[in-house]
Amino acid sequence: MEYFLQNFINALQWGSFYALIALGYSMVYSILMLFNFAHGDIFMIGAYIGFCIASLFILLFGGAAPGWLVLILTIIVSMFLTSLLGVLIEKIGYRPLRNAPRASAAITGLMIGIILETSNIAIFGTKRIAFPQLVETVTYNISGVFITNKKIIIVAISLFLMAGLHFFIEKTKWGMAMRAMSYDFLTVPLMGISLNVIAPLTFAIGSALAAAAGILYGLAYPVLDPYMGILLGWKAFVAAILGGRGSILGAALAGFLLGFIEIFTAMIFPSTLRDLIAYSIILIILTVRPHGFFGKAHSSSLRL
Amino acid sequence: MKKLSLILTAIFFALFVLSTSGWCWGKKKTIKIGINAPITGDIPKVGENTKNTAKMWLEDIEKAGGIEIAGEKYPVEIIVEDNEAQAESAVKTNTKMITEDEVIIVIGPQSSKQAIPAGGVANSYATPMISPWSTNPDTTKDRPYVFRGCFLDPFQGPMLANFAKNEFGYTKAAVLYDVASDYPKGLAEYFKQSWEKNNGEGSVVSYESFTTKDADFSSQLTKIVNSGAEVLFVPQYYNEVALIVKQARELGWKKPILGSDSWGSSETITLCGSDCYGAFFSTHYAAAGAEGITKEFIDRYKEKYGYVPDDVCALTWDSLKLAQNAIESLTEFSGDIKKDRVKVKNNLAKIKNFEGVTGNMSFTSDGDPVKCAVIVKISDTGEFRFYKSVCP
Amino acid sequence: MKPIIRFKKFFRFFSAMPALGWLFGFLTAVIIEYLIGDNIAWMLGLPKIPALFGFLIMLKKPLLIPGASAYIIIVYLLPLTLTARFCSGTINKIAAKLYKLPTPVYTVLYLIFLYIIIDIWAGISDYRIVTIKLTFIAIILTLSLNVINGYMGEFSCSHTGFMALGAYTASTVTLILCANDKLFGEALLPSYLAPFLFPIALIAGGIIAAIGSLLVAIPSFRTRGDYLAIISLAFMFIVKSLIENLEVLGGARGMGSQPHLANLPTVFIWTALSIWIINNFVTSIIGKATNAVRDNETAANAMTVNTRKTKIVTFMFAAFWAGIAGGLFAHVLCYVNPGTFGIKKLAEIFTMVYFGGLNSVVGSIIGAISFNLASEALRPLELFKWIIIPVIMILIMIYKPTGLVAFKEFNIKKILAPKGDK
Repeated sequence: MEYFLQNFINALQWGSFYALIALGYSMVYSILMLFNFAHGDIFMIGAYIGFCIASLFILLFGGAAPGWLVLILTIIVSMFLTSLLGVLIEKIGYRPLRNAPRASAAITGLMIGIILETSNIAIFGTKRIAFPQLVETVTYNISGVFITNKKIIIVAISLFLMAGLHFFIEKTKWGMAMRAMSYDFLTVPLMGISLNVIAPLTFAIGSALAAAAGILYGLAYPVLDPYMGILLGWKAFVAAILGGRGSILGAALAGFLLGFIEIFTAMIFPSTLRDLIAYSIILIILTVRPHGFFGKAHSSSLRL
Repeated sequence: MKKLSLILTAIFFALFVLSTSGWCWGKKKTIKIGINAPITGDIPKVGENTKNTAKMWLEDIEKAGGIEIAGEKYPVEIIVEDNEAQAESAVKTNTKMITEDEVIIVIGPQSSKQAIPAGGVANSYATPMISPWSTNPDTTKDRPYVFRGCFLDPFQGPMLANFAKNEFGYTKAAVLYDVASDYPKGLAEYFKQSWEKNNGEGSVVSYESFTTKDADFSSQLTKIVNSGAEVLFVPQYYNEVALIVKQARELGWKKPILGSDSWGSSETITLCGSDCYGAFFSTHYAAAGAEGITKEFIDRYKEKYGYVPDDVCALTWDSLKLAQNAIESLTEFSGDIKKDRVKVKNNLAKIKNFEGVTGNMSFTSDGDPVKCAVIVKISDTGEFRFYKSVCP
Repeated sequence: MKPIIRFKKFFRFFSAMPALGWLFGFLTAVIIEYLIGDNIAWMLGLPKIPALFGFLIMLKKPLLIPGASAYIIIVYLLPLTLTARFCSGTINKIAAKLYKLPTPVYTVLYLIFLYIIIDIWAGISDYRIVTIKLTFIAIILTLSLNVINGYMGEFSCSHTGFMALGAYTASTVTLILCANDKLFGEALLPSYLAPFLFPIALIAGGIIAAIGSLLVAIPSFRTRGDYLAIISLAFMFIVKSLIENLEVLGGARGMGSQPHLANLPTVFIWTALSIWIINNFVTSIIGKATNAVRDNETAANAMTVNTRKTKIVTFMFAAFWAGIAGGLFAHVLCYVNPGTFGIKKLAEIFTMVYFGGLNSVVGSIIGAISFNLASEALRPLELFKWIIIPVIMILIMIYKPTGLVAFKEFNIKKILAPKGDK
């Protein structure tokens, strides 16, 4: 039982990263029908920006400010800066391609990702960077189940962000505009909602979430490396599509599901077979539910 | 108009010819050494270290006025090629260096994924090659022209298993390794084999793996923590070590952790912090408390590039020194590159008790070095302290 | 104004040159290089014959730029221009005569001619051979991915998986039958049989890859586009993980010591074969059906196109060729490792397909060749290579979103036709 609970908590943490990154993918995918393959690398840049900001704060305040305050300030500032990057990428890479085939935009995203990785190496050098320990690790032992305060912080912040996004999408006017855009981005602009406002906004929110994921990732796995976003990004991409088009909740759930599948297959089966079994499960899910969890079968005009 | 353009073309061509021929005629024969390094790609740090070490070595040579062969000094040129950490690029660059640049010896590629195919190329062109860092037996197997600078898994794995048994009397071990990377995998297998030989079947109570670029090992570590193992063996690179050790501590692992030579980087402590204190690992040399040429090398490197050199630097340095040694003991530098290569290879194979920064070494008939390993303990101040020396 | 007109005039005679003329021009060039290339290089102050048209030398040693460009002008451009200027008429007559033969006959003749040129060119340096072989394999890969991504309009990410299946199957067959190695022991057959067995090994690899593709193709009956992207991605992860766990095949340590069977003529023949067959496929009825499925599946269905069958056949066909390419790849490197067939390789193939152009055989050939040459030529720039190539790619995507030569039919007859004199 403890064994199961322990893995449940592990999976909750691991899943929240997939979920946060998948949300960014899913936003761009739902609203603009694009695969933003640069998203994994935006996540990586977010972590690096977070590293810079956190180091700056530590330099400025020293030990005067409590760790959690620095963490929250870091998250807010980096989310803002990374969202600017997202807007920039949209403007340079995606806006000129709005009428092009979607696959072309996907390739552009891939290329932007490579540029981000390379420029990161050019700026920070090749060595890996240790993310500053903003919060002292405290381990709680609850009858054999080990929980650290970091795990609680990570899961809490990601759930908070997801709830915030859900509120934004469902309850605000901007969110309504976005939802409208995801139905039809040809007609909705005629109703006075500009695609040139909604698209950057989508990218900004997605990138901000990626930045938050990056910092939380740095908190949990404090080794930053220029290529850390690639694999995570592709897997989150799987989660985002699995969630279904136009469903923010679906992407978040699929992210958690992917985390749970990975952790629990490693728990039940020999861990060497983890990827084999985990992705076979995904394959089976897709064969049974071909349009993801919450997606609707889309019309043929929405093709690549 | 026509005349003018004709004259202009003529001048242009004359310039071509004049500008180029000046520095090529009457030039001395140079010794060319190829460096095949992963400067871009997955492991840029390894490439950078290789390149930096090679530059430092070249500086020495230039200060001395070149490599001396039979009383005459020849200038040295290093040709650095980027293999992008990809097998096909490594094959291309190796072919290029051997057939186009006519290098006398190739140093690199570092990781086995590139060193195995590149070694095949070097062997088929009868060009000596030293891979400083590749631990896969296939790299040098049946290839008389291919050598390596590091010790092999079949030595290191059992050595660590015996160490844990003899020193502390542990009987149950857990292993966590990267199944998609051949260095950790090889080491993990040999460790397991020898541990089970020592302590009986099933004494490796938990044998867990993950895939390259994973960051979360909590599921595997939970299994390990619950398996009742007394020691955890982690044959991983330092960036993963930091993550594994931290997560293990968070999941309540308080028992000792054992590592391999890939821990031997100053970055291990930078990334891992106090969680790694008290861990043991085997390596080629202990940076803290190093003596003699090893200390000299570490100090120089640190002064020049601002960080303590890791095992890649040390092994590359030794490989370059070995190459230099083999070239210096040529009886003449004929300029016929094919003959010279064969002679260099013969000299390399003959080297006995070469004193390198990673210890004394001799080559076996397979081209693998025989050298001692050092067991290092990470002290409570984060220094690598010499603990024990183990020789084959 | 005047220089421009003169410039145009200067190049006008190139337009009257048929494909045969270009081949003749290059033949003279490579023969010159073969016979006196060393002397010319020496006179221009170059250490050796520039291997890849001097790009490498230019970036490594900028001082040699004038020499290298002079070499290119003397050895390549001069013979080409002279042939075009003075021999166009004669060559056109020969081309016209050849043109009267049946199409397959003169195509084969042209191919033999082309191979002779490549062989002489590559004979100068083994570095050229390796580069050319890998470029040819890239052509097969690009073409086969273009069948799915371009002609069928799906976004498939599983190509490296198919390649891995092909590479491992072909290697297993050759290692069991023709090589002494530590995985499978002694060779079962004498070594002189190996070259004849190699095609069988490759085809076996292709067939296994095609069977593997069913795992992607069958779920794709029910899904479209986007879900296929993740199904294929999951397939890629599965294949990689599967091979890593198969200790029989060497696992993560990889599989080495394949016999040297993929020599230049073999790779050339397979590449020519793949271009021919893939071109026939995409212009056949089923190829047109794939296009119909891409443009509108429902309409295609209504027009009696069996969309299921079309998809499955196209998928298996493309996977087959990816498997062949994988087999060749394994035998060129004489080593395979599951890590090679990862996301990086996938991004590389995508780049080649979308650079060259969707739905176009010529485009794929151009894409593969230019990407490989550029990537080889820019290698000395190290890190900046990985900024320059993506920037070029983004610019291409912005100004030509479907690639350089997209939606063009590859018509061998048109290409090889003699140019009539006006």
